[in-house]
Amino acid sequence: MEFAELIKTPRVDGVVLHRPFMPTVEGTLCLTGHHLILSSRQDNTEELWLLHSNIDCIEKRFVGSLGTIIVKCKDLRVIQLDIPGMEECLNIANSIEALSTLDILSLMYPFFYRPMFEVIEDGWKSFLPLDAFKDLETMTDEWRLSEVNKDFIVCPSYPPLVAVPKDIDDDTLRKVASFRHGGRFPVLSYYHKKNGMVMMRSGQPLTGTNGRRCKEDEKLINATLRPGKRGYIIDTRTINVAQQAKARGGGIESEANYPQWRRIHKAVERSNVLQESLIKLVEACNDQSHSMDRWLSKLEASNWQTHVKEILTTACLAAQCIDRGASVLVHGTEGADSTLQVTSLAQIILDPACRTIRGFQSLVEREWLQAGHPFQQRCAQSAYSNSKPRQEAPVFLLFLDCVWQILRQFPCSFEFSESFLVLVFEHSYASQFGTFLGNSTAERAKLSLPEKTVSLWSWVNRPQELERLTNPLYEANSLVIWPSVAPQSLLLWEGVFLRWNRSSKCLDEAYEEMVHIIEYNKELQNKVNSLRRQLAQLETEDPLLQTP
Amino acid sequence: MEFSEYIKTANVEDVVLRQPLHPPGRGTLCITGHHLLFSDREEGSCQQVLLLLRNIDAIEKSGVCRLSGSSGTITIKCKDLRVLQLDIPGMEECLNIARSIETLSCLDSMSELYPFFYRPSNASLRDQWGLSSLERHYSQMKELHDRWRLSTVNRDFSVCPSYPQAVIVPKSTDDDMLEKVAKFRQGGRFPVLCYYHKKNGMVIMRSSQPLTGANRKRCREDEQLLQAVIDGSDKGYIIDTRSSQQALQARMTGGGLESKSCYSSWKRLQRQMERGKALQESLIKLVEACEDESNNMDRWLSKLENSKWLSHVQTALSTAGLLAECVERDGHSVLVHGSEGTDSTLLISTLAQLIMDPSCRTLEGFLTLLEREWVQAGHPFQQRCAHSAHSHARLQQESPVFLLLLDCVWQLWRQFPLALGFSEALLLRLATEAYASDYGTFLGNNQQERCALGVKENTHCLFQALLRPRERDCYSNPLYEHTELAIWPSVHPQSLQLWRGFFLRWTPQTHHLEEAQEEIRNMVIEWGKLALSSCPAST
Repeated sequence: MEFAELIKTPRVDGVVLHRPFMPTVEGTLCLTGHHLILSSRQDNTEELWLLHSNIDCIEKRFVGSLGTIIVKCKDLRVIQLDIPGMEECLNIANSIEALSTLDILSLMYPFFYRPMFEVIEDGWKSFLPLDAFKDLETMTDEWRLSEVNKDFIVCPSYPPLVAVPKDIDDDTLRKVASFRHGGRFPVLSYYHKKNGMVMMRSGQPLTGTNGRRCKEDEKLINATLRPGKRGYIIDTRTINVAQQAKARGGGIESEANYPQWRRIHKAVERSNVLQESLIKLVEACNDQSHSMDRWLSKLEASNWQTHVKEILTTACLAAQCIDRGASVLVHGTEGADSTLQVTSLAQIILDPACRTIRGFQSLVEREWLQAGHPFQQRCAQSAYSNSKPRQEAPVFLLFLDCVWQILRQFPCSFEFSESFLVLVFEHSYASQFGTFLGNSTAERAKLSLPEKTVSLWSWVNRPQELERLTNPLYEANSLVIWPSVAPQSLLLWEGVFLRWNRSSKCLDEAYEEMVHIIEYNKELQNKVNSLRRQLAQLETEDPLLQTP
Repeated sequence: MEFSEYIKTANVEDVVLRQPLHPPGRGTLCITGHHLLFSDREEGSCQQVLLLLRNIDAIEKSGVCRLSGSSGTITIKCKDLRVLQLDIPGMEECLNIARSIETLSCLDSMSELYPFFYRPSNASLRDQWGLSSLERHYSQMKELHDRWRLSTVNRDFSVCPSYPQAVIVPKSTDDDMLEKVAKFRQGGRFPVLCYYHKKNGMVIMRSSQPLTGANRKRCREDEQLLQAVIDGSDKGYIIDTRSSQQALQARMTGGGLESKSCYSSWKRLQRQMERGKALQESLIKLVEACEDESNNMDRWLSKLENSKWLSHVQTALSTAGLLAECVERDGHSVLVHGSEGTDSTLLISTLAQLIMDPSCRTLEGFLTLLEREWVQAGHPFQQRCAHSAHSHARLQQESPVFLLLLDCVWQLWRQFPLALGFSEALLLRLATEAYASDYGTFLGNNQQERCALGVKENTHCLFQALLRPRERDCYSNPLYEHTELAIWPSVHPQSLQLWRGFFLRWTPQTHHLEEAQEEIRNMVIEWGKLALSSCPAST
């Protein structure tokens, strides 16, 4: 297929662009296969380059022969284009609609994008499971790396290499896989160095209505327990939802078959509910009415903050179990959504390494990309889309929101700043990089993403980008950080949800000023140190200078 | 009267104190005439808590009888929203302590309050009291002298008990006229100048409501005074902080509004602002919501909404924005009043000045503004701040108008982090001091009462204390950069936030944020020292 077929009018002059809190720009609108570009011919005005895949939905209006297209983006921005000429406007609108909803992965922009920067380190190779396992081996010899899934047959959504207890062989794993939803047998998610406790994750057990059991499954998870110790199974579903799952073949670990494990049920919402919540929240944020009551009740009705609280609470619970010396298995239904929210947040709480820029990338790689969170399905549409939601859900966005809540409560404990989280959010929905394409490692391998696209991390891990994303207040904190999950402590993430509804000029200036102060402070400290050294040297060289 | 009469048990050993953000401590509790003092005697820790009894809003007691003897628990709820708990061995001691606190925390006689006894070693009673006076303000504002004069018609407080001795009025109105106008305005609060906008010569005046009554009395002198204000320009605005209906109803009780026919060059804008009891109830609800421990997000958000506090913040800021818009953008003078002219009137005139006038946004400028527009202008602090959100006492004149002002200023501060020269810590300190203080600044309801009590001669001044070098470091905004521009706040509901620094001050997570701010402040202070110490070297 040629993109040109979809573009009837590639270029219109005299188009006026309206953006929130920016002056309007008049210029030429161009459509390419992947971009909507508006450039004025003046030198110093900014151009607009918008990826079609970032467009969530468009609306068109006509007044006389002047057409207006309102473009609503997945990053929640809303822009308006005034296009002279009815036909041109219709053509443009049709093209945008067609190009923004292309669902052939191999036609996506990342396959066409060529980096304009020097790749210092290939992000595709930065976080390989093998390297992560080497780190693990320095701490414990109780685990092995299994290749049972090397051709993605045992579990299509798992990576080819997974860490499992040393004593469990691949045949056992195959049997366990047939007993877990989507073949997602329990694998190691996190090893807590301080006390050797572990967090595992999996899909739900397929007990069904007649209480099927699987001895191998029991053996596998018991193998992770120290003698005489009990573990906790954190089921992210309520007990009712979990019981109902039996009717569809799913189920829970019964106390009779898993006597060494205590099951705890939490209520982390599932995908369709979350998508609705996001839509309601964004609608509330864009509400133009001046009524405070209306805003607060809409915010409440969206339930978004409740989801944030539930997820954080569950993650704290998992972290608490581990910190107090018990191993944990986390799962919900598929084990690819709420499960990952909980396991990844628990690691942020427990493990200082996850709070660095690189550590966070590694966490996203391990616990989201390689763990098989279906990004393609979940991030196909965002809050504005009119099409019927299928598999869309802001699961990853909620995770980022929770990270932001912890970051806000511990402003000195993270190496990255809020802008890093916003950047990861944007790229998870639309990107020139291949990182978030596909639903699993298997799909990514099939598309040869590492060979054909650039990784987001290749771009991020360059000095100039890192500098922009670094938290100036960061001071490495080796402690476990317990966020407050009281509703009063959780805030709306303005940096994403109100980003386009408020002018951030003053806040940005203040931030710059703060960065400046901190840099100047470092400079002064260096100067003081070098002067001290000089003085010490002079004193040793010239005994006369020594003060009596 | 002797305080000792109220103190049956002055000392108790082995008391356990629980307070937010600290581990519990065991030590000695002392009650003095003005303070509760707890000192930790355990080895390795030296926790001391000195609490002004005046800061205590309410106490609750409960007793437990155990085999080892009875003990009692007193829960102390402070006006700064802190909640402390004391476990006291011995039921009788506990009851005695509770009784002393109850009596001493709400002494009626003002001259017995702590500011009259507070004698810090680093200050003398002969130090300058206050930052400025209207006389000084007037003499500094040369541009006023053409059309405005300083009147001392109120020198013995007989014309208007709640005004200071000197006020600024149009030059063409003599004192006789003012006396007549005073009779026509509630509480004698005739229109006076409160702000002169240098850029265009427009002014903000404030007063109380006109006493037109049911038969629509008029007062030529009042009309002439206001005419003199807009002399030369085509019209002025009157911003009435009540709804039209409220203003019309006020006629029944002798009040009223400026009719179109008598004040033809003035356009009246009615903007309803919540006042008095409703505002106090809103605060009570908000604090209750903040202390809710049910851990339920929906409940928190609906309680927050039901408290209406943020709506009040929004209304205050948008009315102030309207006022500033009339002056700065439209280029018209404005008269502001509600009923008494001592609450919402001051709230919006103060905020409008912060929006428009860069000189109010420095630390000194802001404190001077508060001194002029709240202390001298007669906001009845004694009545409004007698109790805060926890009190069980029947509400009388309490109303958190000043707290609402500080909240609105915080919203400005948050939206314009570079434009204000003071820190959030200053706003928190002021919120505490207004309710209970070592200093005399917020004592009494007006200047007349302060003169009668000899506040100036017998107490220390808070504003002076806040400007001492060490305090100045702590209360300045390290990011401050002077800007001549007006700072227009966004009043969209989405742009306004709960002032967590105050309302959730005693919960741990706010604490971390303070630490980050503290860090930056320390850096800036360090440079100051570096700059000083490197001076001789560079010369």
